[in-house]
Amino acid sequence: MTDTKSLRRHTGRLSLGLAIVAVPLLLALLGPLFAGDPGPRAVSFTLGGGHWLGTDFVGRDVWGQVLLGGRTVVLTALAATALAYLVALPVGLVSALTHLRRLEDVLMRPLDVLLAVPSLLLILLVASVFSPGAAGLALLVALVNVPDAARIVRAAAGEVAARPAVEALRMQGETWWRIAVGHVGRSILRTLAADAGIRLTGVLYLVSTAAFLGVGVAPDASDWAVMVDRNRTGLFVQPWAVVVPALLIVALTTGTNLLFDAVLEKKGRRP
Amino acid sequence: MSHADTVAEIRDLRVEIDGRAIVDGVDLQVLPGKVTALVGASGSGKTTTGLALLGEYPPGARVTGDVRLTEGGLVGYVPQHPAAVLNPARRVGALLHDIARPQARHLPRTERRTAARARVLQAMLDAQLPDAEALLRRHPHQLSGGQQQRVVLAQALLLGARVIVADEPTTGQDALTKSRIVDQLAAVAARGIAVVLLSHDLDVVQALADEVLVMRAGRVVESGPVERLWLSPRHEWTRRLLEAHDAAPREEASAGQPVLEVRNMTAVHDRTTVLRAPHLTLNSGECLAVVGRSGSGKTTLARCLAGLHRDHDGEVLLDGTALPHSLRHRSRAQLAAVQYVFQDARAAFDEHRPVVAQVARTAVRLRGAAEQAATDEALTTLARLGLTDDMAHRRPAELSGGELQRAALARALLAHPRVLICDEITSGLDTVTRRGILDLLAGLVRDRGGLSLVLITHDQETARLAHRVVVVDAGELVEQGSARWVLEAGTGLRT
Repeated sequence: MTDTKSLRRHTGRLSLGLAIVAVPLLLALLGPLFAGDPGPRAVSFTLGGGHWLGTDFVGRDVWGQVLLGGRTVVLTALAATALAYLVALPVGLVSALTHLRRLEDVLMRPLDVLLAVPSLLLILLVASVFSPGAAGLALLVALVNVPDAARIVRAAAGEVAARPAVEALRMQGETWWRIAVGHVGRSILRTLAADAGIRLTGVLYLVSTAAFLGVGVAPDASDWAVMVDRNRTGLFVQPWAVVVPALLIVALTTGTNLLFDAVLEKKGRRP
Repeated sequence: MSHADTVAEIRDLRVEIDGRAIVDGVDLQVLPGKVTALVGASGSGKTTTGLALLGEYPPGARVTGDVRLTEGGLVGYVPQHPAAVLNPARRVGALLHDIARPQARHLPRTERRTAARARVLQAMLDAQLPDAEALLRRHPHQLSGGQQQRVVLAQALLLGARVIVADEPTTGQDALTKSRIVDQLAAVAARGIAVVLLSHDLDVVQALADEVLVMRAGRVVESGPVERLWLSPRHEWTRRLLEAHDAAPREEASAGQPVLEVRNMTAVHDRTTVLRAPHLTLNSGECLAVVGRSGSGKTTLARCLAGLHRDHDGEVLLDGTALPHSLRHRSRAQLAAVQYVFQDARAAFDEHRPVVAQVARTAVRLRGAAEQAATDEALTTLARLGLTDDMAHRRPAELSGGELQRAALARALLAHPRVLICDEITSGLDTVTRRGILDLLAGLVRDRGGLSLVLITHDQETARLAHRVVVVDAGELVEQGSARWVLEAGTGLRT
């Protein structure tokens, strides 16, 4: 009875998360295909007149901008998160499983230094020197996320690596790969998934902020974050140009967290 | 036996509760300086008889018979759980001074304090409590069980007791604490005080008692000097008690070839030396028990042998060749030769994979067996250890602790090891399961010719399985010898 109830609640949360995350994700990935011709520019900050969501600060159609502006934000954030883990996982696992104190120091200490630098400051600093594109921004955001992620992997894996199960695997002569990925990696999956949910949100926020500040994108680029920034001035005349892209970013982060929660809960319940 | 100098005597005691006799027709003479032991299973009337000496009876009991004490013959009682009779709110010093102060009242006011103090210190010395100054400042809960027991004993001695009734003083204690209790009671008896020992621990009785009374269902079935009773028990019940006791220890192993040898080992933990093992050998087909209290370094010894603890100098030789300190550097053959079974079986299994898959990996990795052949062998071995096919395919979370410990044994056995190290593998299990695992181990040594076993344990029953016993105390190997010699005669335990 309670089981079916909790199952129903769980399914509800899962589909809610999916629904919330699907809207911005689909818009971001498929939007550009349906955007069509930008058409002639109209008067700035107007409502109606053939424009479903009005016009923006330079008189472009807001709906068209929304369709075009998601891809960079979402792809940069996803790429940055994946990239951060690509580095953090091996570093964290190696330093958790090694018995060589020096190797652990060599791997972890430089990351601690990086951790001490405020991430936005680092991005702005690098951006002012190199003026990176979208790919460069993804790299930068990934870089500032590596220390946190590596520390979390290291801490979670360290706890698992100290258990007798790992000693028993060594006693069986298991390969490093099997121990590190097959056992330790698998055991810390829940922690990692929870961290990935938060990290993706943080990365989205950072990418948006960077775009908002003009890093990685042109000042009038079609980008949800840039839209929020540029259209602020007309907020009271034409709110949709700010509210719609802002809501889409919120939906993406909230939906991601809901989705991760639901998936983890399902995993946790399995005996 | 001369009855003239008895300090206490019980004649034809009968204690009845609700018409049922719990003690029936018991006679007992307590002689000064002698240890009289009442032996029997729980519920045989030992404690009731012992308490009768204090004039204590269970509520609602109907008592007939005669309990006589000589003049001034105070009786002290050391209960099985001494914490219950020590006021937890007061320091040990206060508890003892309360008794000593009235005794010094006859002295001039200025001398009372020092006299009372001297009496307290003397009593503590007699009760084998060294480091009295520090102990006096502690509260009872800050003492170990053994120390609490000795404080109660000191109280009794301070009162000038002529008879001490010790109720199961060694139950639940490790071997070394037991030997200290034996020492301390022997010292008490040596001072001319009569000791009445109520115990079902035959090791202690044999080491300590002069006279033994064997009780069963409230009656004394046999009594006599301890040597006579041990050598030629007359009553059938006594014989059964002694047989059950003697059954486990086995004869010396025929001297096999040395398999494993330890030379000049000094193991450290964070720069603190935790174990010194100058020399230790393990012969093939031999079962060696390493006993000692928790924290004595016995697990470190086992971990050094298995390559799980690398911080030691010295050598571990397998067939005369030195093994690398860390198992990461041991070859497959070396890993297979020395296998280790962990104390906590549940923690030693990967929770995500079925047990049989994990067990089979040993054969795949260490002996190069094919996947299918390894699984078949794993299933056969698990079945022989009492785990069905269905159980073998479950995940660790769906098996009990005892079943997992069997699976862990199977996992180690699939390496076809020459040396199997078992670290307290029965300590978390109930007695029936423990018995089962111990029988299994005994069978392994018997059937698998050449398999040597190292049992790390604090439990005498487990140690009894061994041919030889090594006693570890405070990081030192204090005693090595045959199981019979160390455990039975108690030579090794009195260190």
